[in-house]
Amino acid sequence: MNSSPSDFPSQLITLLAAGMLVIQLLMAVQRMLLTSIRLFALQSLLFAAIATVIAYCHNAPEVYWVVGLTLAGKVCFLPWLLNRQVRRIGIVQEIAPLLNPSASMLLCGAFTVVGYLVARPFTSLERLGNNTLAVAIALLLTGFFLMLNRRKAISQVLALLTVENGAMLAAVALTTYGMPLVVEVSMFFDILVAVMVLGILVYRIRESFASMDLSELKLLKG
Amino acid sequence: MNHDLTLLLIAPALAAIVCLLSRSRRAMELANVLAFALTVGLGLELLRQVLLHRVVSECGDFLRADALSAWMVLLVSVVSLGSSLYAVRYFRRDLASGAVTPGRIKEFYVLNPLFGGAMFLVVLANNLGVMWFALEATALSSVLLVALYNRKTSLEAAWKYIILGSLGLALALFGTVFTYAAAIRHSATLPNFNWSHLMSMASQLDPRMIRLAFIFVLVGYGAKAGLAPMHTWLPDAHSEAPSPTSAMLSGVSLKVALYALLRFHILTTACLGSSFSRNLLLVFGLGSMCLAAPFILVQTNLKRLLAYSSLEHIGLICAGIGLNSPLTIFGALLHMGYHALIKPVLFFSAGNIHQSRHTLQMRLIGPGLIRVLPLTVLSMGLAGAAVMGLPPFGLFFSEITVLTGGFATGQTLVSALLLAAILASFCGILCQLTRVLLGTPRVEHVSEPKMRGEFIRPVPPHSRGKNSSSEQAQVRQGKTTEYTEYTEESLGEGIESPGGRVHASGAHLADPFRVLRVFRGFPLPFSRISRISWSLTRFRSLRFLGFGFVSNFPFRVSDLVKRWWSRRHAPVLDGLPATGLMLAIFLVFSVWLPAPLLELMRQAAGIIGGGLR
Repeated sequence: MNSSPSDFPSQLITLLAAGMLVIQLLMAVQRMLLTSIRLFALQSLLFAAIATVIAYCHNAPEVYWVVGLTLAGKVCFLPWLLNRQVRRIGIVQEIAPLLNPSASMLLCGAFTVVGYLVARPFTSLERLGNNTLAVAIALLLTGFFLMLNRRKAISQVLALLTVENGAMLAAVALTTYGMPLVVEVSMFFDILVAVMVLGILVYRIRESFASMDLSELKLLKG
Repeated sequence: MNHDLTLLLIAPALAAIVCLLSRSRRAMELANVLAFALTVGLGLELLRQVLLHRVVSECGDFLRADALSAWMVLLVSVVSLGSSLYAVRYFRRDLASGAVTPGRIKEFYVLNPLFGGAMFLVVLANNLGVMWFALEATALSSVLLVALYNRKTSLEAAWKYIILGSLGLALALFGTVFTYAAAIRHSATLPNFNWSHLMSMASQLDPRMIRLAFIFVLVGYGAKAGLAPMHTWLPDAHSEAPSPTSAMLSGVSLKVALYALLRFHILTTACLGSSFSRNLLLVFGLGSMCLAAPFILVQTNLKRLLAYSSLEHIGLICAGIGLNSPLTIFGALLHMGYHALIKPVLFFSAGNIHQSRHTLQMRLIGPGLIRVLPLTVLSMGLAGAAVMGLPPFGLFFSEITVLTGGFATGQTLVSALLLAAILASFCGILCQLTRVLLGTPRVEHVSEPKMRGEFIRPVPPHSRGKNSSSEQAQVRQGKTTEYTEYTEESLGEGIESPGGRVHASGAHLADPFRVLRVFRGFPLPFSRISRISWSLTRFRSLRFLGFGFVSNFPFRVSDLVKRWWSRRHAPVLDGLPATGLMLAIFLVFSVWLPAPLLELMRQAAGIIGGGLR
């Protein structure tokens, strides 16, 4: 049951998790909104691949549910929804980050190091590969940074979604099977509803502020 | 077999479905009120059962209620009933004044029971993952309620709320995952993720993992509970939401998030056997209290002031649990209850004030609100005195309990800090509320006609030119320029409220009696009497000694009588039944706590403090 880090599945998982991290870094420097959405879909696809490897190698059929939900929800439905919203609102594609790409890349590198530092005491607990927990925490931290760095509403939603991806990765990395099925299903449900609610809000903000630039949201203070 | 817990979840869900399908507003109102009235009954039944069996569980341990959950169920159901009662009148008035559309009201009636039901699920779920899901559901169902008015400011508040809430919940999800990971260290099979199961194997959990998990959960659920550094969404959301929702958010939603945090606190203490988690709770609680006090002093918006007071109280509850003596935990639970009952009264009164004055800026509302809305001011004054912690009211006793427990266990420094923070916010609220509610309206020169137009009241820019001669308008503009930057936000509100006619022209407000005559059809004799009493209040020494109240007396009685006859023109009595109900429950429980409730709280305190003893 417990796989040694050197066998093929766990190496594959480490590779895929590293891929998720690389995509996160690409999102940090990406300026085009539509490309960011595609990158998010790709990241979710990598997560689904990790879950498939786990389900196959550890003979855990419940994890196929996670794969299915991820493919349906995060790889297809949410990117489609966000895409449609971007096109319907017809926003300018430029994301306009606060920091320039090289500075944000450096910061994200630092966050990755922090992630490894936090995860180091727990590597013995990880069941799959050595790096997945570290990658999950790095996804969390860079997701927070993405959220701070971007002032467009939809890019903040994307950042939130990548943080959720990190949480899912942590769940499979630490537990092999993912969370109990009822929790997994409710997590997906929550994410879907959250994105829809955020979509409604984005739409209304767009209507009343005539822009999606959140730096205009500064009426409330103190 | 009993189905109490299941019914507690089904009743609000049914109400939401009914509201979704029905077209009549009356049916929606009725569905909301009935559903929550039913949950109050179920809560009382649950109280009886919990006292009998200690733990009630249903659906194969999926739902589980012990004393702590039963206590939260009671609070959530009573506050939800109060706010759905209040919402009936509140939204009718809003609809009449055009502040909301019927569609938005429907949105409220659909989402409000979902919000309440999600809170029931939080406190009844045994599975920690399901608890996380339910908390996210409370955030998602309340965020559209915060944005209900669709003003720029409320959209901003909603955005902050959902983004900070979701971030917090993402962190809490990490914490939940770590807790699960700590549980499966030894077992190769899929373990059960129920809280009760984890508690039974607490000593076998991996301590490092649990420690990490608690930090994540503290920051995550702490953000939802509004603890200090993560509190920034709280004043925005509370002040921009419609008043029934503000009451729910402040009265119970914060405490429900704190409840989730407490479950992890109990688990962490049972696993580590150290004071790790309680020290963190103490630090965050104290931090919230110390931060709230100065912000209370500088607030200009009434509901933001109340929101910061909630921050202070949630900090006190948190610190009381962090002090971790049986007495402080008991006091904290008591405080939870009293605060849940009294905050809605304050928010309901603030809602009445908002609807009649069309602003929440305190310098535009007051001073001397007591002349305009005597009953609302009475309820607000009583509730304000209670929330400050004045002696005859319950919050005083709970605060004293916490402090006594703190000093008695030798945690002198922390308790002294608590006391200082309580006193600071006491002064803040006292100072702010008396300035708004009591005193005399800020018109010292009623009798001098030349001063009339000069009474400075910010005039919405669009109405400046049109309602008076250009000369007057110029004068007024000249007079108001220095104030305009000061009142930007209030101007925004003034423009939107369609009933803003009261403030349309500064001239009306120069003379309060003229306002009364114009807008309430005030008969002359009454205003003569009041003019005499008014002149009495000009003796400053009398006013200083508190005689302003006495000399206002005939005026206010006449006012009341008048309103009693023409309720249609005076919305003062509207919304008072719900406010009065909550206030009455609070006052009754202040002087008399029934034995079953005391026993329930004692058991709940035992559950929280049990890990250490």
